[in-house]
Amino acid sequence: MSQAVSMQGVRKTFGSKVAVEGIDLTIPEGSIYGFIGPNGAGKTTTIRMIMSILFPDRGELSVLGKKSAVESKDRIGYLPEERGIYKKMKVGSFLMHMGRLKGLDRHGLKSRVMEWLERVELADVYKKKCEELSKGMQQKVQFIASVLHEPDLIILDEPFSGLDPVNMRLLRSLIDEQHANGKTVIFSTHVMHQAEQNCDHIVMIHQGRKVLDDTLDDIRARFDPRALHVDPIAGVGQADAVARVQGVAHVTPVEGALEVVLDEGVDPQLAMRSLLEAMPMNRVEIKRPSLEDIFIEIVTGGKRGADAEQLRAELFAEPTNEGEAES
Amino acid sequence: MKLSKISRVAGREFASTAMTKGFIIGALIMPAAIGALMPLVILLTMSAQPPADSGTIYILDRSADVTDTLIERLSPENVEERWAENFDQAKDRAKSMLPAGEEKIEQGIASAKSIIKSPNFRTIPAGPDADIDELKREMQAQVAADGKAKGDIETVLAIVDIDADSTRKVNDDEGYGGFQLFLRPKLNDETVSEIRGSIRWSIRERRYANAGIDRTQVVEITDVDERDSQEITEDGEKKASTGITTFIIPMVSLILLLIASMTGGQYLLTTTVEEKSNRVVEVILSACSPMELMTGKILGQMFVGLSLLVVYSWLGVFALIYMERMDLISWSTIVLIFVFFILAYFMFASLMAAIGSAVNEMREAQSLMTPVILLMMVPYFFFMPVIRAPNSMLSTVTSFIPPISPFIMIMRIASNDPPPVWQTALVILVNAVAVVVFLWFAAKVFRVGLLMFGKPPNLRTLIKWVRMA
Repeated sequence: MSQAVSMQGVRKTFGSKVAVEGIDLTIPEGSIYGFIGPNGAGKTTTIRMIMSILFPDRGELSVLGKKSAVESKDRIGYLPEERGIYKKMKVGSFLMHMGRLKGLDRHGLKSRVMEWLERVELADVYKKKCEELSKGMQQKVQFIASVLHEPDLIILDEPFSGLDPVNMRLLRSLIDEQHANGKTVIFSTHVMHQAEQNCDHIVMIHQGRKVLDDTLDDIRARFDPRALHVDPIAGVGQADAVARVQGVAHVTPVEGALEVVLDEGVDPQLAMRSLLEAMPMNRVEIKRPSLEDIFIEIVTGGKRGADAEQLRAELFAEPTNEGEAES
Repeated sequence: MKLSKISRVAGREFASTAMTKGFIIGALIMPAAIGALMPLVILLTMSAQPPADSGTIYILDRSADVTDTLIERLSPENVEERWAENFDQAKDRAKSMLPAGEEKIEQGIASAKSIIKSPNFRTIPAGPDADIDELKREMQAQVAADGKAKGDIETVLAIVDIDADSTRKVNDDEGYGGFQLFLRPKLNDETVSEIRGSIRWSIRERRYANAGIDRTQVVEITDVDERDSQEITEDGEKKASTGITTFIIPMVSLILLLIASMTGGQYLLTTTVEEKSNRVVEVILSACSPMELMTGKILGQMFVGLSLLVVYSWLGVFALIYMERMDLISWSTIVLIFVFFILAYFMFASLMAAIGSAVNEMREAQSLMTPVILLMMVPYFFFMPVIRAPNSMLSTVTSFIPPISPFIMIMRIASNDPPPVWQTALVILVNAVAVVVFLWFAAKVFRVGLLMFGKPPNLRTLIKWVRMA
C-alpha cells in the first residue's frame, strides 16, 4: 500500500522553543490515524507541516507522493484547530468559495453544497450569514468545507472540541463514512477516548516527540492490565481484606468499588480466582487500560500514585476558556 | 502560484468590499450624486437671492454741494446701467480665473443677471438744516411697525449725513470732511455698497470740480490696460493659465491618486486583519499558498481602488466637458493617473498587507500605521513648492523617491509646466523596481505573520521575520 504521509526526522523550532523533534511517521493510504497528546504537545505543528503551512527546519516529508502538500492541496481536506469563518459571508457563498478555491467546477457545486448541508441537518442555513449560526453549526459548516471537494486525505485538528454529544456522534459517523470510502483520515485530539472510538492507529506525541505509534489493538495487548475492578458484596469496607489476598499490591476505593493493583508478574486470571475464593463478589473484572492510562504510564515510566494523578490533571484538564477567548 | 486561485481570492476580496451597500452608496453613489446636484445647489442659492431692495434715501447734505450729483448717480436708470457694467467685468474676471469655457460663463452671467436685480432708490434731499434726529426717528418707527417691508418705495433705507467740508477744505492744513450712513437693518450687501459707492463717487466728483481737475483725464491717467498674457512655448503662443486653473488640475489629480490608493490599501488592511482575527486564514491557507492569498487580495483591492478612480475621474472629465475646458487636461495625463495609481497602490498595499498580517486586531495596527499615514501626508506638504516650480531641483528629486514619487510626479505632469517625457518614463521605471522591492518585503512578512498570534510586533520584529522567511 502506498503512503499518504511520510515523515523522516522532522524537526521544527520556533525561536529557542523546540516544537517538534525528530518525528518519523508513515501513514498508509486508507487508514484512520489519531494524533493524541496533551495541549501543546506538537500535534498542530506536525499537522501544519503536513499541510505545508509551516516548513520543517530539518527532515524529509512527503504527502500523497509529493514533496509538499502545496502540490496536492486540492486532494487534501483540512479542518484546522483555529477554524474561522467569514462572518459576513452567507453560508452558501462561503462553501461555494471554498469549493472553488479547492479547484471544484462551478457546475453542480451548488447542488453538492446543498446535499452536504442536508446531511448535517443544516438544509435551511444556505442563505444565512455565517455569524448567525451557533458555534456547533459553524463547526459543521467548516467540516463540510474540508470534505466538499472529496479529498483523498482528510486532516482534522481537534474536530470534536466544542460539539455537543449529538453532533459529536454525527461527526464521528461522517468521519467513519469517509474512512469506509477508502479515504485516509488523520485527526488529532487531546481527549483520548475520542481517539479510542474512531481510530485504528494511534500516534502519541509528547513534548514534540513521538512516544507511541501503533494500532489500538497492539497497544492494548502490549500494555497488559495489572489492575482489576472488584466489587465485594459486603461493600468497600472489605478493602483491608482484599489487600491481604495474595498478589495484591494495593487497593484504592473508586466510585463505589475497589481498584486493585497487582504485584508485578502476577497473572490477572489467577488473581481473580483467588479474590473470588476470598469473599463473595458482585463483580470482578480486568480493568482495560485507557489511552490516557497508557499515556501516563509512558510519560511517567510506569510509576503510579500521586505523581501520575497530578500529571493526569495537568495534561488532560479540559481548558475552561479555549476558543471562547477569541470570540 | 495558480492563476485560478489568485483570481478566486481576488474575486471574493472585490465582492466582499465593493459589492456591499455601504461601499456602493458611500464611495460611488454619494460623490456622483453630489456632482449631479451641484448645479442644482448653485441654482437654488441663486434663486434664494433676496428680492432687490427698493426704498427711500434721505440726503442730509450739509455742504449743499453733493446733493445734485448724488441724486443723479442714484437714479434708477444709472444704477441699472452700472449693474450691467459690473456683470460684464465679472464675466471678464471669470474668464481668466475659472476652469470653464466662455460660452458657459456667458450663460452663467446671463442667468445671474436674470435673477439678481438692481435696487431701486427714491432720493429725497432733506436740506442742509434738516433735523437728523427726526429722520432717524421716522426710520425707527418704520422698522418697529414692519421690519420686513423693504420692497416699498416709502421705506426709508438709509440716511446720508454729508459733512459741510466734504468737498471744500475749510482751511488748507486740514483734509476734507467725510460722510456717515444710517442704515435700515438687514439690507442686501449689494444695496449698501451701491449707496456707499455712489456717495464716494459723488463727493469725489465735486472735489475734482472744485479743484478744477478734469475727471476724465484722471481716469485716463490711472487706468492701465493689460491684454491677456501669452506664453511662448515650443509650439508657439498660448494663453497663460492664471488663477485657480494652475492649481485645480494638479490638486484634483493628487487627491484622486491619494483617495484611490488609500481606500484600496485601507480595505486590504481591514480584510487581512479580519481574516487573521477570525482565524479563517488557516482554512484559506489549506486551499491556497500565502503568496496566492496575498496576490489575490492585493489584486482584488486594486480593482476596488480602480473602480473608485474610474468613477471619480469620469466625474472630473464630465465636469470639464460641461465647463468646456477639456483643454486644461490632456488624455495622456488621465492615462498617467491610472499608471501612477497602479504603482502607488502596489507600494501602499504591500505595506498594508504586511501590517495586516503582522497584527492580531485592528487597534494593534494603529501604531504600525502611523508612519505609513505620515508618508501619505508628505505629498500634501510638497504641493505648493511643486506647483510653483514643477521643474525645480526639489520637485525633480522628490518625484524620483518612492513611495511618494507617483504623487509628486502626477502633480508635475498635471501642472502647466510638465516635465520632459524621459523623466516620466524613468520615474515609472524607478517605481516599478520599487514595487518589486515592496512586494518582496510584504511577501516575507505576510508568510510569517499570518500564523503568528500573540504580542503585536514592532518594526524590528518585522525585519527579523523578513530575514527568517
